[in-house]
Amino acid sequence: MALQRLSFRLRQAATHVRSLHTSGCGQQQAAEAVESEPEPLSVFRTRENDPACHSEQHMGQYYTLPSTDIRTLFPHGLPGRYQQQLKTFNEACMMVRKPSLEVISYLKKTDFSKPSLRYLFYGLNGTGKTMSLCHTVHYCYTQGWLVLHVPDAHIWMKNCKELMPSSYNDTRFDQPLQASDWLRNFRITNEPFLSKIKTKQRYVWTKRESTEEGSLLGQLVDQGISRVKSSSDVVGAVLKELRLQSGQPESDFRMAVAVDGVNGLWGRSTIKKKDKSPVESDELTLVYNLKKLLTKDWTGGAIITTLSQTGSLYTSRFDYLPQELLGERGFDSMDPFLPVSVPNYSEKEFESCYLYWMDRQWLQHPQSRTEEGKKEIIFLCNRNPSMMDRICASL
Amino acid sequence: MAASISGLLKPWTPRVFLVRWSRYNPYYLEPEVRKEAYIKPEAELSAEEKEQRELKSIRPIKAATNDVTSSVFSDPVISKFVGMMMLDGNKILANEIIAKTLENIKRKQVDKYHKAPEGMKEEIECNPYAIFHQALENCKPVVGLASIQKGGKFYQVPIPLSDDRRRHLAMKWIITECRESKHRRTLMYEKLSQELLAASVREGNVIKKKLEMHKMAEANRAYAHYRWA
Repeated sequence: MALQRLSFRLRQAATHVRSLHTSGCGQQQAAEAVESEPEPLSVFRTRENDPACHSEQHMGQYYTLPSTDIRTLFPHGLPGRYQQQLKTFNEACMMVRKPSLEVISYLKKTDFSKPSLRYLFYGLNGTGKTMSLCHTVHYCYTQGWLVLHVPDAHIWMKNCKELMPSSYNDTRFDQPLQASDWLRNFRITNEPFLSKIKTKQRYVWTKRESTEEGSLLGQLVDQGISRVKSSSDVVGAVLKELRLQSGQPESDFRMAVAVDGVNGLWGRSTIKKKDKSPVESDELTLVYNLKKLLTKDWTGGAIITTLSQTGSLYTSRFDYLPQELLGERGFDSMDPFLPVSVPNYSEKEFESCYLYWMDRQWLQHPQSRTEEGKKEIIFLCNRNPSMMDRICASL
Repeated sequence: MAASISGLLKPWTPRVFLVRWSRYNPYYLEPEVRKEAYIKPEAELSAEEKEQRELKSIRPIKAATNDVTSSVFSDPVISKFVGMMMLDGNKILANEIIAKTLENIKRKQVDKYHKAPEGMKEEIECNPYAIFHQALENCKPVVGLASIQKGGKFYQVPIPLSDDRRRHLAMKWIITECRESKHRRTLMYEKLSQELLAASVREGNVIKKKLEMHKMAEANRAYAHYRWA
């Protein structure tokens, strides 16, 4: 009796094992089939989640970013409305578009022994420049580059709650809060590099605190986060170290400098000194050090930037070209650069976005699912991505 | 004298055309904004519709107000609600608040939808317009109270309400509730979305107010005949 039960259980186990084995084979066969003929998940989604493998055939399709990548790479880089969308839809999907594909293809072919190239995304308001930048930064991250992401250069030029005179140079001013925030986010993004890169110089912060030569970058960053007063100088030190070390034969990392709203660095500022006179951009430590990084002195990486009119100060609402937004000084400093235009959605991209929102249950109004409703949406937003988002939000 | 009297009896059009006022000569017809009414070809029209069309070619038509559109997304109930929420003529702000409210409701519901297990997904209502209409229906009182004087005293007498009056009361209660009993830092659209979501499942302060009205009417049943005093 017990033997019968034992044999029965063994038979069950055998069938279980057989089914596992066949399912494993089936998966392998399915994997082979997928590799030989990649079947698209649907018209607007693609299985290809690696930005390095994105190509012309994936244009207009959505790919999913893994949530671990989002948490490490973008603690501060994504637009606000997109972050709300991530939370609502419970997934992070980004559209593959031509401007970012172009820049990624250039990045694949860069010669890292030559000075770093500057790429500039420009376009009308709300056409997706920040999202293209995020796509390119995701590519750099998946390739193992060190990512130096400044989410918005305008926040360093306005609404400063604490402005301190700099300890290093009397003519300049420090912004401790912004600097410590940026260092915290930098640490989250680049954890693996902090324990590999070593400083080449000795830095003295106060009479009793100093960072010795040859100490890890992680210690420098921790120093800046814990001692908020000297955080701006720490940012300057970090940027200097990275600029000197990248491209050297002994360092094995590539650096991607991503700055959003780069036109703010050469614009006017609303921060005022104690005697009510406005602060120049060169008088802020953070901005001064970042500008040194945007020159073409260093090798072994790339500089990817975006123009932004929405957060900019003292610019007309209708300016969008690099000449207008960067101004004379900015254009001369950024020249030569590769401008990449970011247009409104094409018909195919609009279709893709519309179908994606239908799939995610975002278009709820019964009329918005008809042809008439779709024509009306196209008429109202002119295929501008941010306008489409705002209109369809209440539908 | 006779000429002027006969001039008055004819249907008249003023020399200065009324565009913004709401008082028109009854001779004027209402404007037809919906696209469907004009798409129908000649053959499909019934006799009444043909009469209507002929009348339109003869009679003057009132000017359409600014809130009626031929958009497929326009909803007269929501337009009425926006008008009631408006303060100092700032309809742009009122419209924005309602748009944010609908977006907020949709976001909360879609969030719940995507995080719910497979079996529970069909029960979650994600359409903010459906939730708004359901909440309004649930807030409408069935009977109202009127203050009627009899023998020197005023009595609260239960009376039936017309449809328009019920809708007006429901909307007014929702708006007053959201304006008054919210935390200083909560924004209007946030509070509105909370109240509408609660009302659509028959919970919340507005439903309580409606039930209190019903209880008062039930309590004053004895005075119902004062209506015809």
